[in-house]
Amino acid sequence: MSRLALALLALAAVPAVAAAPTTAAPAIEAPRSRPLSGPELDARTNDIGGLLRCPVCQGLSVADSSSSMARNMKAEVREKLAAGYDQEQILAQFERSYGEFVRLEPPMRGVNWLVWFGPIAVLVGGAGVVVWAVKRSSRGSEATGSTSSDLPSRDTLPSDRRLAAAVRRVRELAYGWPGGIPPTAGTGTS
Amino acid sequence: MATAPTSEAAPPRPSRLNPWVLGAGLAVVVPLLAVLVMNLGRDPHSIRSPLVGRPAPAFSLAPVGGGAPVSLDSLRGRPAVINFWATWCVPCFEEHAALAAAARTFDDVQFLGVVYEDEEPRTQEFLAQRGSSYPALMDPEGRTAIAFGVFGVPETFFIDARGQIVDKYVGPLNRGTIAALIARAKGGSP
Repeated sequence: MSRLALALLALAAVPAVAAAPTTAAPAIEAPRSRPLSGPELDARTNDIGGLLRCPVCQGLSVADSSSSMARNMKAEVREKLAAGYDQEQILAQFERSYGEFVRLEPPMRGVNWLVWFGPIAVLVGGAGVVVWAVKRSSRGSEATGSTSSDLPSRDTLPSDRRLAAAVRRVRELAYGWPGGIPPTAGTGTS
Repeated sequence: MATAPTSEAAPPRPSRLNPWVLGAGLAVVVPLLAVLVMNLGRDPHSIRSPLVGRPAPAFSLAPVGGGAPVSLDSLRGRPAVINFWATWCVPCFEEHAALAAAARTFDDVQFLGVVYEDEEPRTQEFLAQRGSSYPALMDPEGRTAIAFGVFGVPETFFIDARGQIVDKYVGPLNRGTIAALIARAKGGSP
């Protein structure tokens, strides 16, 4: 149950986190990687272009778009890779100009953690609720001591004297039991 | 009677709200409502530029028709208005007269046009026909447009004397808006 409570708490905290200012993109320093060239440069340019949103298109990546803006951005990615900048540095540089919008994959920070792990948290919480509900219902049936329903057995009679007499009379009429007493019952008589 | 009656056969209690169900429901609904309310006044198409409040990206661009390149550093010490535009952009026609007039009125502010994805001869022709009162700079491969996070044209940046971007305006400007935003770039209240 505490897992569910935690998940709910996390959900309740969404507006608070959303209201907080997003952390600034890291500054561009010296190239952190080695300069690329040849087929590796082409492949990495395409990889990073696939992570960048084309600003003038509708939901297309820079790698998939043929617009001149996307071409220019690809050229810039290529140049940065050839100069030895790594993927994170290049993405951060575009983010400084266009904001987080330019990344097609939200970076794992701030409220974005919710995007990445919220669904898993909700799934785990839901599984917790199911396990809890199943356990509770099975415990409930153990407590009654029988697997059958709550119906009284044929030997039981109400404690109220007049009601008991009426039940016996009905049993006598319905089943033909003399005195309303079940034939095999050893007890049940006063 | 020997057997005790099962008193659980009594009619079920009136159903009460399960506090867990209520809590879970509220934990999901309240944050969603909060996010909705917080964003009611926001235009989903406008993406706030992360550059506002930060130093303008450095550039050094050649003016249309030749001449010494104009750089960001050469503007330091006085406010600047940098307008990204193109001859193929209809709203740019609309604001051209207002910008040209404002550049003559505010002679303590440096106006610059950056040509976005357009050719130099066409730009020259446009300016010859419609007049110009400030430099238009060519932006080969859109480097400066990307650095400024330009999505389309027209977009205009208002920069203060320290080189900080004070405001970004998307769409065609009129005289009133230009004057108000220049007042902000000068440090006065709008």
